[in-house]
Amino acid sequence: MLKYTIRRILGMIPMLFLISIVVFSLAKLMPGDSLSGEIDPANTDPQYIAEMRDKLGYNDPVHEQYLRWISNFMQGDFGKSTRYKIPASEIIAERMPNTIFLGLMSLLITYVFAFLMGSYAGRKPYTLGDNFISAFNYIGLALPSFIAGVFAIYIFAFNLGWFPSNGSVDISLEQGTLSYWISRFHHVLLPAIVLGALSTASYTQFLRNDIIENTRKDYVRTARAKGTPEHKIYRSHIMRNSIIPVVTFLGIDIGLLVSGAIITETIFTYPGIGQLFLSSVTQRDYPVLMAITMLLSFLTLFGNLIADILYGIVDPRIRLD
Amino acid sequence: MKKPLLWFAVLVMSMSAFLAACSGGEKSNTDDKKDNAANDSKPQDGGTMTYALDTEFKGLLNWNFYDTDGDDDIIQLFDDPLIDYDENLKAVPNIASWETEDNQNYTFTFKKGVKWHNGEELTVHDWVFALETIASIGGEHQRWSNVNTIEGAKEFNEGKADAISGLEAVDDYTIKIKFDKARVNNLENVWAYPLSRKEFESVAPKDMAASEQVRSKPVGTGPFKVSKVIPGESVELVRNEEYWKGKPHLEKIIVKVIDSSLTTGELKNGTVDMTPFHPTVLPEVEALNNVEVIRYPGLSYYYVGFKLGTYDGKKVNMNIKKYQNIKLRQAMLYAINREEWVAAFFSGLGKPVNRPLPTAHWIAADNGDMPVQYEFDVEKAKALLDEAGYKDTDADGFREDPNGKEFVVKFSHYATGNPTFEARAKALTQYWEEIGLKTKLQMVDVNLYYDQLEKDDPSLEVFFGGWGTGTDPDPLPLWGDDTVWNYPRWVNEEAQKLLEDAVDISVVGTDTEKRKQLYADWQKIFNEEVPALPILELDEVMAVNERVEGVIFDVSGPNSAHEWWVKQ
Repeated sequence: MLKYTIRRILGMIPMLFLISIVVFSLAKLMPGDSLSGEIDPANTDPQYIAEMRDKLGYNDPVHEQYLRWISNFMQGDFGKSTRYKIPASEIIAERMPNTIFLGLMSLLITYVFAFLMGSYAGRKPYTLGDNFISAFNYIGLALPSFIAGVFAIYIFAFNLGWFPSNGSVDISLEQGTLSYWISRFHHVLLPAIVLGALSTASYTQFLRNDIIENTRKDYVRTARAKGTPEHKIYRSHIMRNSIIPVVTFLGIDIGLLVSGAIITETIFTYPGIGQLFLSSVTQRDYPVLMAITMLLSFLTLFGNLIADILYGIVDPRIRLD
Repeated sequence: MKKPLLWFAVLVMSMSAFLAACSGGEKSNTDDKKDNAANDSKPQDGGTMTYALDTEFKGLLNWNFYDTDGDDDIIQLFDDPLIDYDENLKAVPNIASWETEDNQNYTFTFKKGVKWHNGEELTVHDWVFALETIASIGGEHQRWSNVNTIEGAKEFNEGKADAISGLEAVDDYTIKIKFDKARVNNLENVWAYPLSRKEFESVAPKDMAASEQVRSKPVGTGPFKVSKVIPGESVELVRNEEYWKGKPHLEKIIVKVIDSSLTTGELKNGTVDMTPFHPTVLPEVEALNNVEVIRYPGLSYYYVGFKLGTYDGKKVNMNIKKYQNIKLRQAMLYAINREEWVAAFFSGLGKPVNRPLPTAHWIAADNGDMPVQYEFDVEKAKALLDEAGYKDTDADGFREDPNGKEFVVKFSHYATGNPTFEARAKALTQYWEEIGLKTKLQMVDVNLYYDQLEKDDPSLEVFFGGWGTGTDPDPLPLWGDDTVWNYPRWVNEEAQKLLEDAVDISVVGTDTEKRKQLYADWQKIFNEEVPALPILELDEVMAVNERVEGVIFDVSGPNSAHEWWVKQ
C-alpha cells in the first residue's frame, strides 16, 4: 500500500508539470491583461499602464515568463495579485476557509441524504416512496446548479425569508461567539444544499441500485433460507457491500469540493475560491487565476489517489500493488 | 400580471412579519410605514443603513491606493477629500481652500480641528506625506501623473532631493505648492488626498497597499469609521461622533456585496436600503413600492466610432479610407432612432447627445447650439448617401460604394455576460440596413475587444464604445492627435488647435468663459464631422428605500453621508 502510494505521488509530479504548461499557455492565450479593458482615461495615465506592463514582465518572451512563473511557483511564491495588490497565496488563504466550510457542509448533506434516501429506496424498490425519491432525484440531476440556485434564492430567501440570499456571515456579530457561528451556518445552508443536490441525487441512485442488486445475490438468498432476521441481512450482508462504491466517491469529492462551488458561490455572493476564480478570469488576474487552477488540478489528482486507496481499504477483493 | 404580484406581496409581508417576530433585530416595512405618519421630516438619529455593491470590492480602502470601482464607494463614507466638486464639476473648498494668482503658485489653507479617526489632528504634513509617498513610488503608482507636476517631484523620485522642493509647509494649516509650470488645470489635477502619518510612518511606501492600515483597519477623516471588514463581502462602519461637519445621524452603515441578480429581491425585502443598479432592471425596481429611484446626471456617454486610421505609438494617422466620407457617417447617425433605442435598451435612462460630452459638464455646449441636430430622419439619411455616391447599382436592395463595389458596414460590439448587448447592437444594424447599408455584426469578448481597439486590429471597423469623463474636463487625452485613447484615430488640425489652446495658460489665462468657448467651437467641429456618432449620455440611478432620508445625488456623487438618516 505504502509503495503504491509513493509511486502514485511520484507520478503526479510530471503530470502537474504538464498541467502547469497548459495552464500557463491558456492564461497567456486569453486576450487582454489586467491593465486593459474599460479604462477611465481621465484617471489612468497611458504611461502608467505601459510602465506596469513592463514591470510585470508582460513584454518579455513567453518562455521566460513561464520559467520565471514556474520557478517562483515551486518556491511557494504564487505571484502578486494584480487586482488585490497582495500575494495570490494570501488572497486564496483568505477565501479558503469559506469554501472548505461550504464544501464540507454540502458533503455532509450529500452523504446523509443519499444514505437515508438510498437505503430506503433500495429496501422498498418500486413502491410509492421509491418512485417519489426517484422523481426527486431526476429533478435534482436535471436541474443545473445555476437554475437551482436562482430558484432556491427566489423561494427560500426572498419569498419565505428562511435564509439570507448572500454573504457568509452577518457582519455585526462578534467573531467567535455562538450567534456568529449560528449565522455562518444560516448563511451556508442554502448554497450547501444547492451544491450538494446534484451529487445527492446520483449517490442515492447508486446506493439504491447496489442494494437492489445485492439483494438478488446468492449469499443473501442463502441467508434468507437459513432464517437470518431480515434487518441483520440488510445490515451485514447487503449494506456493507452496497456502500463500497459510494465511499470511494469521497476521494473524487475532494477535488469537486472547490471546483464545484464556482457557480454556486457566485450566485449566492458567497466569498470563496469559486467566486474568486471567476472574477480573476474576467479581470485577467493571472497570478490568482493560475494559482487556483494549479490548486484545483492538484486536488483532483490527489482526490483520485485517495479514491483508489479507499477502494483497497473498503473492498478486500481489490489489491493495490 | 396583477394577481401573482399581489400574492407575492402578501407572502413577503407575512414573511417579513414572521422574520420580525423571529429575530427581533430585523425591521419589517409595515412597521415603518405606520411610524412615518407620526413624525415629520425632521432628521432622527440612530438606525442602521445597508448599502449594497454589485461588484466585489478589492479591499484597497484608502484613496491613495484604491484602483477599482467598489472600493471608492466605501472610502467616500469614511474619508473626506481636501477639495470637493460641485454640481457643475467645479472645484470647491472642502477641508482645504486655496488662493492663486498665476495658476502656478498656490496657497492652501486647511480647516482647523479636523481629526483622523485615530484622534490625531489633520495637518498639511499629512498631505505632504501622501504626495511624498506617491512620489517615492513614482511611475508604478497610478497617481504619479497627479503628483509629478509639482516642482521637484521628479528629483525627489530619482533620489536627487530629500524633499519635494515645490512643497512648503508654512505652518500646520497652511501650505504653499509650486507647480513646474502654470497650467489651467493644476488644481484639478493635483492629488488632494492626505495620508495619515501616524498610521503609516512605520510602513515602507511599497508595502502600504498590502498593509492592514489599508485593508482591514483603515482610518479617514470622514463621517463614519470602519469598524470591521470582511474581505470581499462586507464592511461595517460606525458613526464618527467627532466629524468636523457635524455628528452623523445614522449610527451604522453596512456595505455588502450582492450579486446583481439579487438586487430587486433584496430591495423588496428591505434587506438593502440603497444600491446602484443596472438600467435594464429599472422597471422592476420602479415597481417596488417601498423603494424610490433617484436619477442624477451621469458623466458617461456612448458612441459608435469609425476606425479612420492607426496609431503608431506617438501620433494618430488618419490613413484608413473606408469611412472617410463625412456624409456617410452623418447618414448613419440620421438613420438611428436614438429615442426609441434608449427607451428599449436603457429603460429610457439616457438622452441622445450630439457632441462627445455629457451635458452635466461645465464645458459642454448647449445641445441646441450644435450645427447639426441629427433628428431621426430616414429620408434625410438616404438623401445624404445618394449625394455621397453610395447607390444601389446591382439592385440587390443594398447600396454599393461610389466605385460600384460592394459595401458592407462591419460593426463590432463587446460581449460580456449581459444578454442585452447583442440585442442592442443588432438593433443598430437594422437601422442601417433600413437606409440600404448592408451591415454585418460581430460580438467580441470585452477584453479582446479593447485590446483590438487599442492595437487598431483590422477586424474592427465600426465599433461601439463608451467613455466616462472625470472631473477634469479636458478632452485632449481622449481626442487629441497623440493619444492611444483616440480610438477612431481622428485628426483635425483645427480641432486639435482648439483643444490645445483651451489648456494653454498663455491663451486663456484664468478665464473660464474663454476656455468654455474654445471647447464649444471644438464640439461644433466634432458635431459636423462625426468621427464617432454620439449616441447617448447615460443617467445614473440609485435605488433608495423610502425609510432613508436626506440623500441627495448630483453629478459629483452623493452628499455627505452625515446628512443621511432613517425613519424609525
